[in-house]
Amino acid sequence: MLDITCDFKSELLGKFAIETEYDIVTVRQTIRQFAKDAGMGIVDQTRITTAVSELFRNMYNYAGGGKVFIESGDVEGHHALIVTCIDHGPGIENLDLAMSDGYTSGMGMGYGLPGAKRLVDRFEIQSKLNEGTTVRIMKWK
Amino acid sequence: MKESFNVKNLKNRIDRIEDILASVAAGDMEARIGSDIEDDFSGIEAAIDLLINDLTDELRERAKVQKELESRLSKIQEQQKTILQQQEDLLELSSPVSKVWDNILILPVIGTLDSQRTQVMMENLLQKIVDTGCTISILDITGVPTVDTQVANHLLKTVTAARLLGAECIISGISPAIAQTIVHLGIDLSAIRTKATLQDAMIYSMKQNKRSEEVKALANISFPNENEG
Amino acid sequence: MNQYEKRIPIIKIHDYLIVPIQVDMHDKQAIQLQSQILEEIARTRAKGVLIDISVLEMVDSFIGRMLSGMASMAAIMDTSVVIVGMQPAVAITLVELGLEMPGVDTALNMEKGMEMLERKLNTRKIDTY
Repeated sequence: MLDITCDFKSELLGKFAIETEYDIVTVRQTIRQFAKDAGMGIVDQTRITTAVSELFRNMYNYAGGGKVFIESGDVEGHHALIVTCIDHGPGIENLDLAMSDGYTSGMGMGYGLPGAKRLVDRFEIQSKLNEGTTVRIMKWK
Repeated sequence: MKESFNVKNLKNRIDRIEDILASVAAGDMEARIGSDIEDDFSGIEAAIDLLINDLTDELRERAKVQKELESRLSKIQEQQKTILQQQEDLLELSSPVSKVWDNILILPVIGTLDSQRTQVMMENLLQKIVDTGCTISILDITGVPTVDTQVANHLLKTVTAARLLGAECIISGISPAIAQTIVHLGIDLSAIRTKATLQDAMIYSMKQNKRSEEVKALANISFPNENEG
Repeated sequence: MNQYEKRIPIIKIHDYLIVPIQVDMHDKQAIQLQSQILEEIARTRAKGVLIDISVLEMVDSFIGRMLSGMASMAAIMDTSVVIVGMQPAVAITLVELGLEMPGVDTALNMEKGMEMLERKLNTRKIDTY
């Protein structure tokens, strides 16, 4: 449905579903382990773990859950850890607004998307009303 | 006219040539035909042996060259590793954090700050704060000629992150040029304690130390009826 | 009982409550902890709370907001909260996330946190004496 252009080669490391609050915790721990295995420093590990935690919470709260793909690939001359979150929720009506700092939706969230964007090296988002949202983030190793 | 050949045992000898060529192809460079029969066919056998000799020499030469290339390559890789390591070391060395007094850390920064160096510096300083338990640190940028927006933001981030750890970070030695840049860039440093010189920062830090000692002493004052408040 | 149901202990020592958070909390657990602490404050009439997060490898916006909300709520109950032992990587990430937690007191370690609470309590006593 939603396609974000793939301009890189990658290898799938894992595929997970976010269905409960526990999944948010276990999958973000898995991603920290992947980041550690990839040789990232402690600060970068924390950055990507925190960023995915924000994205997973959005999926859980607004779309009731979704799927997560973790890949390792070569992008723009960097080795990258790539996390793609796909949900089939209500979608985001105004992406620019959702990406602006200090914006909070009904549930008192906010920080989520713009904060996650600041923590990673590349951030792509696509959303269609009533169809869902796809977010892909990358962190260079 | 009919030519006559003087060849003995032709079938067996051709089989032997086949065998020898097969073992050479399989990598046995010692195999030779080495026939001691002298007739019209022995020339061909001798020529094949010579070719095998040449091939052996050639292969040996090639292996030698390859080995040399490999050793050069590994040397270059080794050097590259050293360069990378040194770059990292230099990055670490260029931001030495030292404890100069009870509870006080100093990080003197010298030279141009780029985003990467500031990042490493920030991580070092914060880690050192946690390791030493010092609650006051001075970031002295007297030796820094200019800063850009990104670097100024990193400095700001360092101070805020230090506060989250439970420590105060003071910036000293802001040159007129940097002050101008910071204000022109619209970066708000008002939330940060800045001191003109390292000396001022030291004096301030020691006063802070003394103050917390005094406040600590207050803990021993007893108040009557304190449980009825 | 798995790690998700493990209760986070709230320890009372003299006038203080000590809360060592030693699990990667999910959101419900964080909300539960918040109300548990507030109830303990009311029940024990504690004057200060030390929340030790030194083993937390990650604080995202939800837990960050829970902690700063905790501090404001305790403040209107006349109790001070000090967040103790945040890791440098966590602090850097929080700042980049945009969560600078203004108004929240922090300390490098338990000892310094305790000193800070005592100091606050004494200044308050001097003010009201």
